[in-house]
Amino acid sequence: MVLELQKPRPIWQIMFSTHHTDIGLLYLISSLAFLFLGGSLALAIRIELFLPNIEGTGQIIADSMTFNRIFTVHGTTLIFLFIIPFASAVGNYFVPIMVRYKDMAYPKLNAIAFWMIPPAAVLVWLGFADFTWYAQPPYSIISAPGPAADMWIFGLKILGVSSVLGAINFVITILKCKHPDMSIGQVPLLAWSFLVTSVIIIVAIPTFAAALLMLLTDRLGVSGFFNPAMGGDPIAYSHLFWFTFHPEVYVLVLPAIGMMYEIIPRFSRKPIYSYNSGVFAFVMLALVAFSSWGHHMFATGMSFTEKTVFMVGTLAAVPASAMHVFNFIATMWNGRIKFATPMMWAVGGIALFFAAGAGGVVNTAMPLDFSTHDSYWVVGHFHLFVMGTIAFASIGMVYYMFPYVTGRMYNETAGKIHFFLSFVGTILVFFTQHVLGLYGMPRRVFDYPPIPEWIAMNQIASVGAMIIGVSMAIFLVNMIYSSGKGQLANTEDPFGLGGKYYYPFEAKNPHH
Amino acid sequence: MKGIVGLLLVLAVLIIIPALDLAFAAGAEPGEYVDRRVIIWNLFFRMMTVAFTVGAVVAGTMIWLVWRFRESHPKAKPTAYEGTDW
Repeated sequence: MVLELQKPRPIWQIMFSTHHTDIGLLYLISSLAFLFLGGSLALAIRIELFLPNIEGTGQIIADSMTFNRIFTVHGTTLIFLFIIPFASAVGNYFVPIMVRYKDMAYPKLNAIAFWMIPPAAVLVWLGFADFTWYAQPPYSIISAPGPAADMWIFGLKILGVSSVLGAINFVITILKCKHPDMSIGQVPLLAWSFLVTSVIIIVAIPTFAAALLMLLTDRLGVSGFFNPAMGGDPIAYSHLFWFTFHPEVYVLVLPAIGMMYEIIPRFSRKPIYSYNSGVFAFVMLALVAFSSWGHHMFATGMSFTEKTVFMVGTLAAVPASAMHVFNFIATMWNGRIKFATPMMWAVGGIALFFAAGAGGVVNTAMPLDFSTHDSYWVVGHFHLFVMGTIAFASIGMVYYMFPYVTGRMYNETAGKIHFFLSFVGTILVFFTQHVLGLYGMPRRVFDYPPIPEWIAMNQIASVGAMIIGVSMAIFLVNMIYSSGKGQLANTEDPFGLGGKYYYPFEAKNPHH
Repeated sequence: MKGIVGLLLVLAVLIIIPALDLAFAAGAEPGEYVDRRVIIWNLFFRMMTVAFTVGAVVAGTMIWLVWRFRESHPKAKPTAYEGTDW
């Protein structure tokens, strides 16, 4: 195993290793650290919104600028420094083993891709920019204070390059390094999710890389691409941004679905119901990812035809997503399901995936989009995806990987308490935010008028966030304590499921 | 094969026609004297009716599934794959 705290390896041996499990471990630890950091900022936001500011009371954060900085870094951290690196952690651990290759195709490139993340994170955190994770011009060009904004731009640039390098490595590993006896139709669905995700990254990220450069030169005053004062168009940035970041939504969610495809059959003690439909749905979602970016801009004066095309393109994600959900349900059917902690997180994630998708259908129906646009409905919808589906699958995967990574078992009771509190907290926060949006509360606000319904719903959401905070504290203690003092795991069958597994045996030797 | 084509046709009718209906509800012509708030909220409540109905079926199925196929259920029996190298 790669992390054995009783007989620790020198830290430099892990840091300078190019072995996929060591890189995976670095991704895992850093992404979880950023989960807690970004989550702390979310708690700060929710505590500020617990009460409106009435004559000096109810205000905790000093001013709106600080609040804006906090939610910018919160979003940037959790998307770019937790979710994506966490997926890379899982991919690094599992993909080479699943395709039966000794390592990633380019081990040194793999290490470089990881080591680009810390300097990028330093830029984002030391800068603490205030223009949201979206960096919307013209504010980001004209008014956003530097050097924070410039540091954010450089940080994101580095993270983009890191993602592309990682994606190239996954594509080559899966397509070119898989065992000669293994056809592409035999590659496990988790690896398929990484293949599809990597292709999306390679196609989508360069557009944002260009947009960032244009944003930077606009800020320097040498160009005016997005600056209306120089004849530029801020909406052009929106198109470039969402051409990358709507597919990026699928970059976030597809590995999470892949993780569910790993967990659910294991704990149901059955193979996946339909492998082919899983592959088909992954490919379909990748195509749909590029046909729906315009739905973020229905309110910016698009023509009726454009809106119709993007609405139908977005709705095309529904059947593909439903295929995954059906596949999960059919796999569990007639199984003998062991509800260990990873399975609880995966099943909870499926339930919330459906709810999040239903909210998305409302957003994409263009007449309704005008009612929900820029309201808390959108915040609730997006967060139900990233927390309710992606983070749930990811945390389930942390528990699943724990015995393989540490050689020890986590505390099962603490894991289940963590799940129940997080599930309840997630529903309280994000379902309530949907209703809050229907009541008209705009997103990204530091303060709100003392309307009784708004106050009550903000308080419910904030209490939910605090419950999630408590559950995450339990998670942190469980992980740290169990890594050193947990029971030794039977690494050939740590969850007592019976059957044989293909990966733990081969992951034992990190040296090569 | 005919069954699959039929199923796809039914899905197409169920998905595409409501989508187009929604699209035309938006309208873009000047001089229409309709209360768009009423139309939009009517659409919202119709969609919510569908979402809650489908949601109840999916959530209900999952809750039953979780209860019935848990390993501690009295009628739980080993699957055909247990102990094999699947």
